[in-house]
Amino acid sequence: MAAALAATLIVWLILPLAPGDPVLRILAAQGIDEPNELQIDVLRAELALDRPLPVQYIEWLGRVVQGDLSVSYRTGQPVLTEIASRLPATALLLGTALAFSVFFSLILALIAVHFRDRWPDRIIRAYTQITASVPTFIFALLVLQYVVLGLGIGKVLPRGLGWLVLLPALTLAIDRAGGWTQLLRASLLEHIHSGPVLVARSRGATRWRTLWRHALPNSLLPYITAIGVSLGAMIGGTPIIEEIFTWPGLGRLMLLSIQARDFPVIQAFVLLGALCYVTASMLVDLVSMAIDPRLREAHP
Amino acid sequence: MSGIEAALNLHRPRALPARGKLPRGLLARLWTHRGGRIGLILCLILAVLSALGPSILPHEPNWPDYASTLLGPSAEHWLGTDATGRDVLSRLLDAGHRSLGAAMLVLVSIYGIGLVVGVIAGVSGGVVDTVLMRLVDVLMTIPGMVLAFAIVGILGPGFHNLILALIIADWAYYARLARSYVLNAAGQPYITAARLAGVPFHRILIQHIIPPAAIQLAIVASLGLGGTIGAIAGFSFLGLGSQPPHAEWGAMLSESRFYFPIAPWLLLAPAGLILVSVVAVNLIGNALRDVLDSGADK
Repeated sequence: MAAALAATLIVWLILPLAPGDPVLRILAAQGIDEPNELQIDVLRAELALDRPLPVQYIEWLGRVVQGDLSVSYRTGQPVLTEIASRLPATALLLGTALAFSVFFSLILALIAVHFRDRWPDRIIRAYTQITASVPTFIFALLVLQYVVLGLGIGKVLPRGLGWLVLLPALTLAIDRAGGWTQLLRASLLEHIHSGPVLVARSRGATRWRTLWRHALPNSLLPYITAIGVSLGAMIGGTPIIEEIFTWPGLGRLMLLSIQARDFPVIQAFVLLGALCYVTASMLVDLVSMAIDPRLREAHP
Repeated sequence: MSGIEAALNLHRPRALPARGKLPRGLLARLWTHRGGRIGLILCLILAVLSALGPSILPHEPNWPDYASTLLGPSAEHWLGTDATGRDVLSRLLDAGHRSLGAAMLVLVSIYGIGLVVGVIAGVSGGVVDTVLMRLVDVLMTIPGMVLAFAIVGILGPGFHNLILALIIADWAYYARLARSYVLNAAGQPYITAARLAGVPFHRILIQHIIPPAAIQLAIVASLGLGGTIGAIAGFSFLGLGSQPPHAEWGAMLSESRFYFPIAPWLLLAPAGLILVSVVAVNLIGNALRDVLDSGADK
């Protein structure tokens, strides 16, 4: 948690490099192109931009701890309100994508290992190679052009959310599941010849059963860890995927804020990203301990 | 070390090429690797085209010609023209120079910064090590892309700011890896042997510790280049990187996406080039890993 707060300092350290005066920009955004001295001074004092940067940072941090993320320069709304209104859409998109990715990669890895070196395995390996080389946004763009516009399936502009999440979520999932499949497949192959698996096999368990019951639980650690790490990357990728599929989530809020140089929202986004990373790694540690008794002994 | 890194084996000591010398005939060995050969050929073509790019353009890349917009491929315009009548082939070549050059610049920078910081941290230990690694820890708490977006947001959209943002966002990971490679190399028996033989510290550092760490980091870097190419194209696609009228592959994608039904080549050409570039560098990265990592086992 402390690391997440410390991470926000990085962004503040870059702030002095920002060109232009934020006060002038905010006034311009409010339609005042040539403000007089008084307007500038009043707004500067109001946003506490006349104080030294370290003081501003500490005050900002103090408010963040109390759950106040300041006010958006662009809209004048509290940042927390802005984020809260966008969060459900992004959470729905990422949650669905995550569920699909886990489902796909589990199934594909098990199939690949079961049919090792035969054609299903080769196809799955080719798929993982392709996803490793295709940037997500290009894949999404091609999906959009060919599936949505070409075949006329689905609407690009979502009126409500609901099932429309399927297309972007599936796109993300197909792209994301490749790496996870590759990892789980390699991990399964390491364990398929381990002692317990061979014993179970020699006692008459079927190949599917040994794979599912004995090799899989032992292979899950690196897989779960990779999922945890990928969560951060998935959040970082939301601006592009949401822009392509015109999804009204946090990513597009970030883009709007970048174009308007809306620092409070940008800072909130960084804090959110860091919090997600910290939470994800804590969850990964907990899940790892739950499935691996050896880790429980190491960290009682 | 948190559970994440432990499980990902980021710090697992890999077999090192003995004394960290590059295996003889690295290019030759890459050539015998099937994927490596394809990657080398593709990279060579891309590198030559991008390096020559601006000097072999058939047309002026930023010159609109409203008399000939959205033309299909022809003898005059091999890959057709875009919505303002600019020659697509010329723009692709010009963009390749910019996109691939920027990706190389980003990668060389984070490789250099990461190696220097990693070596300093690993060799000096103590307070310096703690401070540097705390900084790296904190930086790595923010997902790389989120940090890059934030930096572009603060500095303002633009190609130079994008390059700077990607460097700031990504060097920490390389620094941490470099440090672990340095510590790993320093723990090898031949280091003890060299010290017992009275070799001065700076020579051990330069001859026996830095080279193997540098090689291992180079493998990681070669596998990261594809991601950097994709990131630069992605940011430019969103209008946060290269600014008009300059051509950039990602920016060309966003310029052309709404003309797809009538002029699909506008979108497919830059998309194809980005794909080919990423595939080419990934092939070389995988081949390098195979060739260099297995070198000591054989």
